[in-house]
Amino acid sequence: MAGLELGAKDSGSAESRVHRGVAVLDFILRLVALIATLASAIAMGTTDESLPFFTQFIRFRAKYNDLPTFTFFVVANSIVSAYLVLSLALSIFHIIRSGAQSSRVVLIFFDTGMLALLTAGASAAAAIVYLAHKGNTRTNWFAICQQFNSFCERISGSLIGSFGGIIVFILLILMSAVTLSRRH
Amino acid sequence: MEKTEATTIEISESSRERKGKAPLLAAAVAHDRAASGYKRGVAIFDLILRISAATAALAATITMGTTEQTLPFFTQFFQFQASYDDLPTFTFFVIAMAIVTGYLVLSVPFSIVCIVRPVAAGPRLLLILCDTLTVTLATSAAGASAAIVYLAHNGNSDANWLAICQQFNDFCQRTSGAVVAAFVAAVLLIFLVVLSAVALKRR
Repeated sequence: MAGLELGAKDSGSAESRVHRGVAVLDFILRLVALIATLASAIAMGTTDESLPFFTQFIRFRAKYNDLPTFTFFVVANSIVSAYLVLSLALSIFHIIRSGAQSSRVVLIFFDTGMLALLTAGASAAAAIVYLAHKGNTRTNWFAICQQFNSFCERISGSLIGSFGGIIVFILLILMSAVTLSRRH
Repeated sequence: MEKTEATTIEISESSRERKGKAPLLAAAVAHDRAASGYKRGVAIFDLILRISAATAALAATITMGTTEQTLPFFTQFFQFQASYDDLPTFTFFVIAMAIVTGYLVLSVPFSIVCIVRPVAAGPRLLLILCDTLTVTLATSAAGASAAIVYLAHNGNSDANWLAICQQFNDFCQRTSGAVVAAFVAAVLLIFLVVLSAVALKRR
């Protein structure tokens, strides 16, 4: 009996070491996602291109808030960045206390919600970027990228950080789920 | 004689031990049965949500896939017609929601396995992984199409994009309905992920 108890304790500390390693990886991935989404929000939010010609009445200018979808993209990425900063605290708590279970479920709940928000924002912006590049002949929508080159490059590049954040969120949810199920 | 004495001592010790351990064992067995009972309830709820999400995704696919509106006037050269494949985003929507529907229907057996074996972690982990990927796909399709539907309703003066909904009313209504159904499916899928996480808890 005593031998069994010792054996259980040994495997318990090995378990908690694995959980601690996974929790550290979780923290690092959260930092990576924070940088990616923040960079996306800033890259989209600072777009401003004025064409060098203008008529007497209007100035040809493209900004991110000319298109409401891009405003939603910036807002969504900012919300996700703020959430990631707050969840870093919970991640540190999981490094210290590897055995916590209910807090991991709460973390998975919020992570999934933020994943949905991020994906909706990124894919909506991607649809508009695609439209800006190609236009649409059936609906008579003109491809504005042919005139606003640097604006188009900026908005296309800012999508990359957002999609990287989506992949990191999927990894985070999966890691939390595996840690939850491995508790003995 | 010594042997029987030794055996008698062993038996009495172990019977005392057994009596001492019995309440603990009974408590553990009762706990396990209670845990598997509530996990079975969670798994049944999971199955119900899965079937509802499959219905919503199927409705979204069919609604978007069968939109086609021909305006009653036409010129000598072409007819004013709007169909879902005029916009590549809507084509992506139909394909993605079809994949989501197919996945949800195929995952019903795994959900039934989770009902039958409530304490097994393997099927639940597989379900949570695939459900997360499906959340991403469904939300992506719904979000992209929502952006295009918003543009079709309101147009954009800065980009000189006309609001086509003013002419194609029925087309716009159907695509908006499909996007709403897709968002419903995505929300149900989020609930499914959280439910699987709750059921994975060991205590």
